[in-house]
Amino acid sequence: MEKTKLKIILLGDSGVGKTSLLKRYNDKDFKQLHNSTIYVDLVTKEICIAERQVILQIWDTAGQERFKSLPSRFYRDTDCCVLVYDVNTLKTFESIDNWHDEFIKQANPETPTKFPFVLMGNKTDVNNGKPRVVAKEIADQWCGSKGNIVYFETSAKAKINVEEAFLEIAKKALTNERQIDDMERYRSVVPTIEKETPRSRCSC
Amino acid sequence: MIADGSEDEEKWLAAGAAAFKQNAFYMQRAIDSNNLKDALKYSAQMLSELRTSKLSPHKYYDLYMRAFDELRKLEIFFMEETRRGCSVIELYELVQHAGNILPRLYLLCTAGSVYIKTKEAPAKEILKDLVEMCRGIQHPLRGLFLRSYLAQISRDKLPDIGSEYEGDADTVIDAVEFVLLNFTEMNKLWVRMQHQGPAREKERREKERGELRDLVGKNLHVLSQLEGVDLDMYRDTVLPRVLEQIVNCRDEIAQYYLIDCIIQVFPDEYHLQTLDVLLGACPQLQASVDIMTVLSRLMERLSNYAALNAEVLPYFLQVEAFSKLNNAIGKVIEAQEDMPILSAVTLYSSLLKFTLHVHPDRLDYADQVLGSCVKQLSGKGKIDDTRATKELVSLLSAPLEKYNDVVTALKLTNYPLVVEYLDTETKRIMATVIVRSIMKNNTLITTAEKVEALFELIKGIINDLDEPQGLEVDEDDFQEEQNSVALLIHMLYNDDPEEMFKIVNVLKKHFLTGGPKRLKFTIPPLVVSTLKLIRRLPVEGDNPFGKEASVTATKIFQFLNQIIEALPNVPSPDLAFRLYLQCAEAADKCDEEPIAYEFFTQAYILYEEEISDSKAQVTALQLIIGTLQRMQVFGVENRDTLTHKATGYAAKLLKKPDQCRAVYACSHLFWLEDRETIQDGERVLLCLKRALKIANSAQQVANTARGSTGSVTLFIEILNKYLYFYEKGVPQITVESVESLIKLIKNEESMPSDPSAESFFATTLEFMEFQKQKEGAIGERYQAIKV
Repeated sequence: MEKTKLKIILLGDSGVGKTSLLKRYNDKDFKQLHNSTIYVDLVTKEICIAERQVILQIWDTAGQERFKSLPSRFYRDTDCCVLVYDVNTLKTFESIDNWHDEFIKQANPETPTKFPFVLMGNKTDVNNGKPRVVAKEIADQWCGSKGNIVYFETSAKAKINVEEAFLEIAKKALTNERQIDDMERYRSVVPTIEKETPRSRCSC
Repeated sequence: MIADGSEDEEKWLAAGAAAFKQNAFYMQRAIDSNNLKDALKYSAQMLSELRTSKLSPHKYYDLYMRAFDELRKLEIFFMEETRRGCSVIELYELVQHAGNILPRLYLLCTAGSVYIKTKEAPAKEILKDLVEMCRGIQHPLRGLFLRSYLAQISRDKLPDIGSEYEGDADTVIDAVEFVLLNFTEMNKLWVRMQHQGPAREKERREKERGELRDLVGKNLHVLSQLEGVDLDMYRDTVLPRVLEQIVNCRDEIAQYYLIDCIIQVFPDEYHLQTLDVLLGACPQLQASVDIMTVLSRLMERLSNYAALNAEVLPYFLQVEAFSKLNNAIGKVIEAQEDMPILSAVTLYSSLLKFTLHVHPDRLDYADQVLGSCVKQLSGKGKIDDTRATKELVSLLSAPLEKYNDVVTALKLTNYPLVVEYLDTETKRIMATVIVRSIMKNNTLITTAEKVEALFELIKGIINDLDEPQGLEVDEDDFQEEQNSVALLIHMLYNDDPEEMFKIVNVLKKHFLTGGPKRLKFTIPPLVVSTLKLIRRLPVEGDNPFGKEASVTATKIFQFLNQIIEALPNVPSPDLAFRLYLQCAEAADKCDEEPIAYEFFTQAYILYEEEISDSKAQVTALQLIIGTLQRMQVFGVENRDTLTHKATGYAAKLLKKPDQCRAVYACSHLFWLEDRETIQDGERVLLCLKRALKIANSAQQVANTARGSTGSVTLFIEILNKYLYFYEKGVPQITVESVESLIKLIKNEESMPSDPSAESFFATTLEFMEFQKQKEGAIGERYQAIKV
C-alpha cells in the first residue's frame, strides 16, 4: 500500500514551546528545554488516517532571532503550516501575523486564502499566579479573520490537546496533498529532455 | 576555486539547483515506477551537486536543504523496497556502488536509517559504521553538512533508554559515543575551515563559520536530551570529552560558542555538581575568548536556578559553589593582566548577584566580592569607560535591590570603597539610587554610626569637595537631588534622645561642610527633626536613675543656633528668620527664657538688617507678632522690650495700610485672656487709637488721590478689633468708643463707596445683632451698643 508523505512546519517566536510540543507528540517525555531550538529539526512519524498510511514530516524551526533567515526552500512544498504562540506572552501572539504573512510570501501557495493553517496557543498549564494574557476569544477572532483557521489550546507539559492538534493537522495536510501537482511541476521544468546526457566526472 | 562575488554565487546556485532539480525529477520518476537501479543512479547524480566548491556556506545550506527534502522521499522508497522483498542488507551494499564518495555517503546514511528501522541489526552497529565512514569526507564544508545530515536522521534512532532501538545494558554509552564522535569530527571540520583560502579573506571566513556553528552545537543539544544522560553520565563521560575537544581545538570562535552551548543546554543541577570541572577549563581557553560573558551567563543561570528553587540551596553550600566561582574568576583575571576593566567589573557584578541570590545571609561573601573588585580597580584610577561605569552602578545597586534595606548594605565594608572609584557624575547617580532605596522601603537609619557610613556612600550629593570648581549641574536636577536629601533626613531617627542627638550632630557636620548652595535644602528639615527631639526629652526631675542627662534642652538649642546662623550667609535670611522663631517657640515650651529671648533677638536682627523688601517685611512682622503673642516664658522686662520693638517696627512699615494693620495686630500683645499679668487695657486702647490715626491719615491720602472717594475698609477692620476686645471685657474699650467709631464709619459710608467695604460693614452690623440675642454677659454687652 502506497504511503503518503506530508510536510508540516511549525512557526512561531522563540520560547513558545514548539520543540516541546513536537517531543510530546513523538511520545517522548517532556523535558524542560533551557535554550531555544538550535537550527532546524525534523521529526518523522507514521500514522494511519481513514485507513490510509501517512508519513508526517514535521519540521521544527528556529525562533524569532532568526526571523526571515530561514531559506525560502524550507517553506516550499509544505502541506500544512502550524503557528504557535504562548498564551502567557502577548508579544508571541502579536507575532503570529508576521509568521503567517512570511509563510504566504515564502511558500507562495497557489490559493493563499485556502491554504491550511492551524494555530496553537501553548503553555495553558502555566500557573505562576497570574491570569493568562491572551484570551481564547481573541485568538478565535484572529482565526476567523484569516479564513477560519483551526485553533487548539495546548500544553506540552500537561499533555493537553497535543495528540488532538496533530491529528487535525495531519487531516488538513492530507486534504491538501499535492502529489499529482508535484509531478506536473516537475514535468514543466524539464519538458524537452528525453534522454539522459551524462556528464563526465572524475572517479574519486 | 572561490566564487568571485555574490552575483557569481547566485549564478552557481541557480545552475546547481537546476541540475539538481532535473535529477530529482528523474529520481522521482524512477521511484514511481519502482525502479531501484535508476533511483540510485539519479539520486547519486543529484547529490553530486553537493560536491561544489563555488558556494558560500549560506548558499550551500540552501542546496543542502533541497537534498535533504528529496532524500526523505528516497528513504520512504527504500522502506517500501524492503517490504517488497529487497533485503535491507543488500540495499545497504547496493548504495555503496555510487561512483563518488560524497553521494555515496549520503545514500549510505539514508539506507542506514532504514536499516536501523528494520531492526535487523543493532542500532549501535549501524551508527558506528556510518560515523566512521563519514571520515571519508575531509573537505570542511562538505563534511560538516554530511555529518549534520547523519546527526539529523539518527536523531530519533539513537539507542537511548526508552527508545524502541534500546540495546543492552550499555545502550546509553553507545548512543553517547556516537553523538560525541560525530560532534568531535564536526568540530574539527569546523575549526579547519579557518585555514581554507588566502589570509586576506580571513574576516569573511570567520563570518561564514559563524553561520555554521549551530550545526556543531546541535550535537550538544542532542546529548542533553538523551534520557540516559543522567548526572553520572554527564559528569564522567560527556563533560570531560566535550571539554577536551573544546580546549584542544585551540580555536577562539569554537571555544566561545561551544562552552556557551554547554551552559545553555544542560540542566542547572548538572552545572552545580560539575562546577570545578567546568570552571577548570576556563583558564585553558584561548586568551582572546570572551570568558567574561561565558562566566557571567553561567552565574546568571545558577542565580535564577537558586531564586526559583529554594530547595536546592543546600546543594550550593555542599558543593561550595561560591568559593569555586570566586577562585575561578580570580584565576581568569590573573591570567589576563591587561583584562579590560569592563570585563572584570562584569564578572564581579555577576558573581555578586549570584552571591546575593544563593547566600543572602552571608554578608561576608558579598563583601569579599566587593573587596576583590576594589583590588582590581586600584591602580586604574577613575574609570573612564562608560560601560564599565554603568556595570559598576549595576553591581552597587544589586545589594540594595536584594535586601531592600540600606542598613544591611551599610554592613558591607568594601561597598564605599567601590563607590570611591566612580566619577563625580556617577557618584551622584549612585547616591540618588541609595536615597531612593531608603525612601521606597521606609528604611530607618537608627544610629549615628550608620548615618556616618551612609553619608560616606552618598557624599556625591552631600558635598563638592572632590571638585572645588564643580561640574555645572542642571539647576532642576540639583534641586531634585537636594530635595531627596531633605526627605532622607526624616528617615534618620532614633527614639532614644541621646542617640538621636548624635545623629543630628553627624548631619550638622556634613551639611555645614557641604557647600552653601545646599544649606537652604538641608538645614530646614534638620531643624524640624531636631525640634522634634526636644519634645521627647524626659522632664527634669522625672529621671529615675538620678544621673544627669547627657542631652539637655540647652545643648540642643545651642546646636540649633549654630546650624541656623549658617543660613544668612547663603544668603537665605528669610529662611533663617523663620527657623529662629520656630526655635523660640520651642524654647518657650521648655521654659528656657534666656534661650527663647536669644532666638528672638536673632530674628529681630535679621528683620532689621536682612529683610528689606516691603512685602517680606509685612509677612515677617506678622510672624513676629503671632509668635510673640504665643510666648509664655518671658518675664515682664523681656516681654516689654520685645513688644516695644515690635510695635516700633509696625509703625515704621512703608505703606500706611500695612502700618495700620500691623499696629492693630500689636494690640493682641497686651491682652491675653488666660493670663492676668498680661492684661493692659490702656496699651490695647493706645494701639487701636494709633491705628485709627494711621487709618485716618491713609484715608486723607486716598481722598486726595481719588477726588472725594476712599476706602473705609481699614476703619471697619479696626471696628472688628474694638468689638473683639469689648467682648473680652477690656474695660477701656467703652460703649461710647464703639458707638463713636460706628458713627464715623457711617459718615464715610454716606459718600460713594467701595461695595466690598459696604458689604463688610453690613456683615459686621449683622454680627452685632446676632450677638445681642445671646444669653449672658456677651448679650448684655452688645445690647448696650446702639447702632
